Amino acid sequence: MTILEATALAKRFGAVTAVHEVSLDVGAGEIIGLLGPNGAGKSTTLHMLLGLITPDSGSIRMFGLDLERHRIEVLSRINFAASYVDLPGVLQVREVLDVFARLYGVRDPKARVGELVELLDLGPLRKRKVMELSSGQRTRVQLAKALVNEPSLLILDEPTANLDPDAGDRIRSLLVRVARENGRAMLITSHNMQEVERMCDRIHFMSAGRIVASGSAAELTDVYSADSLEEVFLKVARARPEVARP
Amino acid sequence: MTPLTVTHSPLGLPARVTRIGGVVRRDFAALRRSPIRMFEIVFWPTIELLVWGFVTVFLQSQQVPFVVAFLIGAVLLWQVLQKASNEISIAFLEDIWSRNLLNVQVSPLSTVEYVIGLILFSFGKVVFAIAVMAGLALAFYGFGVTSFGAGLVPFMALLLVMGWSLGLVGISAVLRFGENAQVIAWSLVFVVQPLAGIFYPVDVLPEPLQAVAAFLPATHVFTGMRTVLDGGAVPWGELAWAAVLAAGYLAATLGVFAWTLRYARSHGKLSRFGE
Ligand SMILES: Nc1ncnc2c1ncn2[C@@H]1O[C@H](COP(=O)(O)OP(=O)(O)OP(=O)(O)O)[C@@H](O)[C@H]1O
Ligand SMILES: [Mg+2]
Repeated sequence: MTILEATALAKRFGAVTAVHEVSLDVGAGEIIGLLGPNGAGKSTTLHMLLGLITPDSGSIRMFGLDLERHRIEVLSRINFAASYVDLPGVLQVREVLDVFARLYGVRDPKARVGELVELLDLGPLRKRKVMELSSGQRTRVQLAKALVNEPSLLILDEPTANLDPDAGDRIRSLLVRVARENGRAMLITSHNMQEVERMCDRIHFMSAGRIVASGSAAELTDVYSADSLEEVFLKVARARPEVARP
Repeated sequence: MTPLTVTHSPLGLPARVTRIGGVVRRDFAALRRSPIRMFEIVFWPTIELLVWGFVTVFLQSQQVPFVVAFLIGAVLLWQVLQKASNEISIAFLEDIWSRNLLNVQVSPLSTVEYVIGLILFSFGKVVFAIAVMAGLALAFYGFGVTSFGAGLVPFMALLLVMGWSLGLVGISAVLRFGENAQVIAWSLVFVVQPLAGIFYPVDVLPEPLQAVAAFLPATHVFTGMRTVLDGGAVPWGELAWAAVLAAGYLAATLGVFAWTLRYARSHGKLSRFGE
């Protein structure tokens, strides 16, 4: 079953074409990776899917509903975490989770916070202020926030970017577990090729605002006669030398 | 579409009430965890009250004929306007400062629910601050808020509503022009100060400014306040006109806020705050 269907999305910022004719779909429980060099348009694409950026053209349907016209219903069923957002620092972990449980209209916020604390092993951090936490701990709290409404689709923009290899690995295992056990779909960007290879059912490569290659990790390495996804990445990224590098 | 289990149905009243409650709780928790801000709620009003209180003491000692209550009453009611305005903008700016804006913006909270949440919380804070000030005014200067008579509630209500409108304009300015427009959010309310005849009757203003003043709900509140403190009746007709103005401005500024939010989304501004 398709839960997300984006067709021919486009977004320009002044002279910059950030996203051009991007179409993608996500099926229930699928983990989809979005890869590409800096400035390829990954975050812009995700932000359009989240209703943070209005596309210039194209359409976004989730759960059979048009995002623009059914914003509240759609946003109730998805969630988001990113390395570049933070949670209110002065609040304690349990307060943050309680607040977001309410912002998502959770029926029994207290019970839900209890479940999340359990799931993400946040017991000892419950009464700590968010600003006192390490990056890895914060990421865990962010993921708890992102799961607060039991989303059918999780949109994650470089969720492990600030983490050491060990913490990153734990988060990845957790994400895979959450996806597999509960059938949540994920759309994830990352610059960590092993991560993507390990987690994603399908991968889209973006370059200069377009999707230039799609497939499973195995299919992509095959098509590009590469030994690893990293090599695919380099081939794809360097295939268009006119793409401005930051 | 599979039914939602853990959450209320998103468009129903229980979901809306829960989401608004989330906004209020967030602000309340932030306040509780930040003693400096608790202190600030009463700090500025107290300072203003002291300064103007001593001014009245001095003027009286100089045998200047005037009504003490005019000044103390004005200081009290001015705080209602200023706080209502600033509290709304602060609540919004805090999301920007703590890089939490995107989390709020991708939640199913609607614009109206968000504004209602901000308004409810600012209402609580204003009432608390005014209660503290009213106590001090009584203790220091023997001024009781009961001197406003039946005007007390409509005076405060009109200033609150006008303050919220100003706060929404401040937020809208930040959404439209970026973080530097914070200055507008802080200072807009002070544009009203000279115009609304807070510490003096509007008659002292030049004619053109008097015309402008007539369109500010606050002007009618402060004029009404002086009438009441002078022993006159509450000018209900004038307050009704002020209420029409205040409601009109609130509706208009809500529209402006919704428009600037659409602008920010279409220009990709939401993800660019704090950079
Ligand atoms: N709000 C914005 N205003 C102006 N230009 C923008 C905005 N957002 C993105 N861009 C531009 O659009 C292009 C795509 O940016 P985007 O952030 O989507 O890339 P990305 O693939 O997420 O890159 P990274 O891997 O570095 O996160 C870039 O050229 C960027 O400068
Ligand atoms: Mg990005």
